[in-house]
Amino acid sequence: MKTVEDYVELLRDELALPVTAEDLGRPLDAVAAWDSVHLLTLCTLLERETGRPLSLADVLEAPSLEAVYRLAVAP
Amino acid sequence: MGDDLSELTRLHRDGSLAAHYPRVRALLAELTGDPLARAGRLLARLDPDDVLAAHPGTPAPLLALTGHGTLTGAVPALTAELARHGLLARVRLSPFDSWVFDLADPASDLYAARPDLVLCLLDAATVTDDLPTPWGADDVARVLEEKLALLERAAEVCATAAPGATLVLNTLPLLPETPAQLLDLRARARLGALWRRAEARLLELPDRHPHVVVVDLLPQLARGVAAGDVRQSVYARAHLSDGLLARYAREVGHLARLSTGGGKKVLALDLDNTVWGGVLGEVGPDGIETDGGYRGEAFRRFQLVVRQLAAQGVLVTAVSKNDLEPVEKTLREHPGLALREEDFVRIRANWRPKHENIAELADELNLGADSFVFVDDSAFERGLVRRELPGVAVVAVDEEPALHPGRLLEDGWFAARELTDEDLVRPARYREERDRRDFLHTFDSLDGYLRELDTTVTVAPAAPGEYARISQITLRTNQFNLTTRRLQPADVRALAADPAALVLGVRAADRFGDHGLVGAVLLRQDGEVLHVDNFLLSCRVFSRGIEQTVLHAVLRHARDSGLREVRAAYRRTPKNGKVADFCPRGGFTATTVTDEETLFRHDLAELPEPAAHIRLTARFGRAPGEGDAP
Repeated sequence: MKTVEDYVELLRDELALPVTAEDLGRPLDAVAAWDSVHLLTLCTLLERETGRPLSLADVLEAPSLEAVYRLAVAP
Repeated sequence: MGDDLSELTRLHRDGSLAAHYPRVRALLAELTGDPLARAGRLLARLDPDDVLAAHPGTPAPLLALTGHGTLTGAVPALTAELARHGLLARVRLSPFDSWVFDLADPASDLYAARPDLVLCLLDAATVTDDLPTPWGADDVARVLEEKLALLERAAEVCATAAPGATLVLNTLPLLPETPAQLLDLRARARLGALWRRAEARLLELPDRHPHVVVVDLLPQLARGVAAGDVRQSVYARAHLSDGLLARYAREVGHLARLSTGGGKKVLALDLDNTVWGGVLGEVGPDGIETDGGYRGEAFRRFQLVVRQLAAQGVLVTAVSKNDLEPVEKTLREHPGLALREEDFVRIRANWRPKHENIAELADELNLGADSFVFVDDSAFERGLVRRELPGVAVVAVDEEPALHPGRLLEDGWFAARELTDEDLVRPARYREERDRRDFLHTFDSLDGYLRELDTTVTVAPAAPGEYARISQITLRTNQFNLTTRRLQPADVRALAADPAALVLGVRAADRFGDHGLVGAVLLRQDGEVLHVDNFLLSCRVFSRGIEQTVLHAVLRHARDSGLREVRAAYRRTPKNGKVADFCPRGGFTATTVTDEETLFRHDLAELPEPAAHIRLTARFGRAPGEGDAP
């Protein structure tokens, strides 16, 4: 996963979330079909994609999907 | 495999997954691990109502999911596992940690939803969350005792509050960090003993509560599946790992398949490189690997597992691309084979496509192709069978024979809620059936054959020892099943104890042997009307006059008892078309006809003739002990 487009594809195909790039900045509650448990799966998927551990506590506190993306690609 | 997941993803993106739901089963067939988990997440997005609107006949069991901790992660896994069997999971998720209220209160919303399966997903934190700080082994003993008492109570309440439902519990994998907190090694050992004793008591619950199934997670851990992910447990209260939930869901999928009549009965085995090593046609009987040598031993180990299954009622057949004569000769004479000619109920060795052979075997054995499990090392053969006969469960083995037994057993295709005496003798019964067929070919007419067959039929109230078999007939019989009302053993027991109801067992025998308990008739008297709630007959004994004879006996009993009429119903399913005209042929007239069902009435003025070639013994009164609790 290198780009935001890859991230959106992962959200759509792996997590089955009907989102587009415009939805990434929304508060999670405003994302269609959102459930907080998706963060657990998302964290697992991102660790698999990037090959490095993420702080689950940070992911759970992220206010938006964009914030999660930034955690995953942070140098 | 990648193609199947891509296709599923494409259907999901198109929004046409509901419309194509019948294809999903085949698309999932070869998926495991992460791809299957991903498919589950896509499928869990479907609204079951959309699928049912497009495909109203899809069996859609309601799974009530409750338990300790965050359970949402189990939903995609359950959805995928049921879809693998062509079922549509409707999952009702309870609020967080509400299992005690859900299960102990007969008026709970969970029971009100009328679930088919009640899944109470427990984990070690169910116990450890209640420990004080500091804690000792005695505290663990106390909490375990409390939880067991709650579960015992839940089992009792569930039986009455959700009759017909199955309560699924599971063992509680103990994580290392719990015993490691006790420094005294003897105390630590005591904790282990207490924990396992509690799990053993949990595993014994089904002995007293037939509607309870306990999924033992220990063998899954031995497989190398992690019990939990500590971060998910700490931060999100999700105590069981995704991998373990997937294995749990697989067991639940098989339970759901069993309760919707999808039992597997036949194992169809390829021979070359599946049962023995090498190609018989090339290396000859002396060259095949079986017994002796490393690989020979591995094949022999697989053969012994097959015999173990056969001893428990699995019908073993061979479907091989070979000439018949050398195959038969090898199975008869090869000294190194553990699996021999007499272990097979049918041997098909020819050069025709395997799916055709399986379809013909299904016909010969009077079973649906969907009761077959097919094992082959050739991806080509597996693919063809899967494409042509989507109901057949296909098991892949490869060039490593040591892995064959695990592959065959991994999916639990042949597991049953309760094996009966009838299961154990089934292979012998089917071999007798082969002799009957050979005998049939010596006659010019079916009538002459039936006369010589010398069939005796006994109809009598089911004895307590027969309830499990009666339940099994209702669960497994799909063709000769008038109303497809499925009954668990506890339901049969309850019916037999009901003074207005009568549970009749039908036994048959002929010159070739005893068929055992082959059918059931469920009657209910309401004033002057006798209702036939269901009429079932094993597919092994169709079309020999047994069904007419039993119907005659029931109608004559009604007339002799001074009743006014007999009513019956035929409820249509995709598989019971052959009994649509059973009632009319017995002299019933239709009173109500809808797409789903036809209601019938018989005025008892004129009774149908019993079959002349059958000797019938019928008894309708209960003998002492029948209808009592066993």
